[in-house]
Amino acid sequence: MPFGPIHPSLKEPEYFKLILEGERIVQVVPRIGYVHRGIERAAQERTWVKNIYLFERICGICSFAHSLGYTHAVENLTAFEVPKRAKYIRLIVAELERIHSHLLWLGLVGHWAGFDTLFMWVWKDRERVLDLEEAITGNRVHKSYSTIGGVRMDFPDGIAAKIKSDLEYIEKRVDYYETLVQSEETFSVRTKGVGRITQETARKLCPVGPLLRCTGIARDVRVEDPYAAYDEVPPRVQTSNDGDIASLLKIRLNEIRESSWMIKTAVERLPLGPYKVSVPRVVPQGESTFHVEAPRGELFYFVKSKGGSSPERVKVRSSTVANILTATEMLKGHTLADVPIVLTGMDPCFGCMDRISVVEAGKPKSWSISGEDLRKYGIEYYKGRKSR
Amino acid sequence: MNLLQVSQLLLFPGLTFFVWLAFLFEWLDRKTSARMQGRLGPVVTGPFGILQPVADFFKLASKEEIIPAHSDTFVLRWGPALYFAAPAIGIAFIPVLGFQGILNHPLDLLFMLFILAFSTLMAAMLGYASAGRFSTIAVGRLVVQYTSYEVPLILSMITPAILAKSYSIQGIASAQGSMWYIVLAPIAFAVFIIAALAELEKPPFDIPSAKTEIVGGWMTEFSGNTLAYVKLTKSLSYVFLSALAVSLFLGGPSGPVVSSAAYVQSVFYAIYFLVKLFAVGFLIFAIKTALARVRIDQATRLFWTIITPLSLAQLAVAIVLVFR
Repeated sequence: MPFGPIHPSLKEPEYFKLILEGERIVQVVPRIGYVHRGIERAAQERTWVKNIYLFERICGICSFAHSLGYTHAVENLTAFEVPKRAKYIRLIVAELERIHSHLLWLGLVGHWAGFDTLFMWVWKDRERVLDLEEAITGNRVHKSYSTIGGVRMDFPDGIAAKIKSDLEYIEKRVDYYETLVQSEETFSVRTKGVGRITQETARKLCPVGPLLRCTGIARDVRVEDPYAAYDEVPPRVQTSNDGDIASLLKIRLNEIRESSWMIKTAVERLPLGPYKVSVPRVVPQGESTFHVEAPRGELFYFVKSKGGSSPERVKVRSSTVANILTATEMLKGHTLADVPIVLTGMDPCFGCMDRISVVEAGKPKSWSISGEDLRKYGIEYYKGRKSR
Repeated sequence: MNLLQVSQLLLFPGLTFFVWLAFLFEWLDRKTSARMQGRLGPVVTGPFGILQPVADFFKLASKEEIIPAHSDTFVLRWGPALYFAAPAIGIAFIPVLGFQGILNHPLDLLFMLFILAFSTLMAAMLGYASAGRFSTIAVGRLVVQYTSYEVPLILSMITPAILAKSYSIQGIASAQGSMWYIVLAPIAFAVFIIAALAELEKPPFDIPSAKTEIVGGWMTEFSGNTLAYVKLTKSLSYVFLSALAVSLFLGGPSGPVVSSAAYVQSVFYAIYFLVKLFAVGFLIFAIKTALARVRIDQATRLFWTIITPLSLAQLAVAIVLVFR
């Protein structure tokens, strides 16, 4: 049974080959690459600063995490130290983004379980977080806030009280949603024990983020390798031992509370000083990697510079790439009706993770092809298809 | 059949009246769930968007109809008419202006059971005839769901018949003069509402039309006029089942009447009927908005292990009450 690439329960095109025995799923084969956008290649054509805006557009939800990963990786190559105030502001915006991403996910889980009321309520509350983001950064989604050497604008004055009251409202709502998802019988039968994943499977398939933490493995980049101001405002890592959709719900709701606490603390402790340093447009030669904890999990950036005004190579590994094999494992043994909720359970972002690899037997691992040859190859390829 | 009866059948309180009620119900449904979810609902067409369902109907009816290549054209052409006929005939038996429906028969409750079964059968036929992948799955689910909720539905409808010692809706409605059957048989009423949610494919039993799993359910392949009438039929069934609940459990159109003139009484009866109808409607709207969808195996288990035994127990209580 094909599931996708165009299916009502997938907001992005992706193909899953489901092998069924009756209604039970015995095997899942994902096939990715439907929304490959060639961003890594496009980055090689743009300047260091322009690339911030490009990488932000990899994902419409965790856009700040992407720009954070990229700017940190580039900052590693330069000798400049980011001001402390900028580090704190980065933490605040990153955590606001985590809250909004987790709320979005909670609403979607409700939607796929046929619980549209939860969806509407959660998304209405999420608006408050987006408004806060707009008040701080000037934009709701693509914030373009983190820049090489700090943040683009200073933290606005007189907003601390609003942040505090809005976050307290969100915390109250999160408490309510927690009782709701646990006590609502029709919803809890859809989430408890669904999408099981054991610790051994998790160790074998290396998922990241909440998907890993729901099996009881407490790993979080923010704690293990702190960036921004996470060394001074460390989060408590949330784990659960059940490894199902219900435990993912619990973890994400707890993370919202934790993020809320972190933002409030960071706003209180926000140091004075400059919010950015000027960095020259040319980045010295070298290679650097950086990982950040995006809302969905660990996000990797690799940047290689030849000393020019644009990068030689940028490689991104978004969290969904790490999670997709685990999600296929979670689907096994469940029925067709569980597919949407389990797939949503890993918080997929297919646009973030799509990639293409070309393999040709007999050739070395990498080879190059000129534009003219590629054109000829394309013409030949389509001629061959037509004659078939 | 005289002219008065024909005009009653077609105009008031017959088909036209109930079709407009169906539009009103759809609007109330959308508005109630929107307000519960923190949205506005329809606002543009008419005051408070009240004409939105009517506008939707005419828009759909005026659109091009696409018939899938592998479908059974004959069934697709004539099926919707039969599907529409089921609740359209059913509402003629509902007492509105007095304790007598426009049409009546000493055994018409059994005919209501037939109509409810026929409606589901037509839905299954239409779904199979359209030959879509999603509609085929949906029909499978529809039939499984039907087999599980039919028994409690019938048991809950038989309970008031036993209490009233009559198989006619008129007899049941007029027997509730002193005490409504919702008081004597509350479980039967609850079971009837739950089974009605399953019959209407509303949450938590919207399994055959789960839009996040199987697109539009068995209606996926429909378009244009067919879709317009199928949707209207669903709203009409909504009103029909609520009206049935009013007649069987809430005393039909009964209530305190001050005048002895026949036409004044009719006005009072119609008002009481409408008030009760909207009360039942709001109950269904609220339940459907507040719940999430269950899986088909969970729904089947729920109906067979909990609801059927409950309605059997209620039936036994009713028999003891009547024949002690």
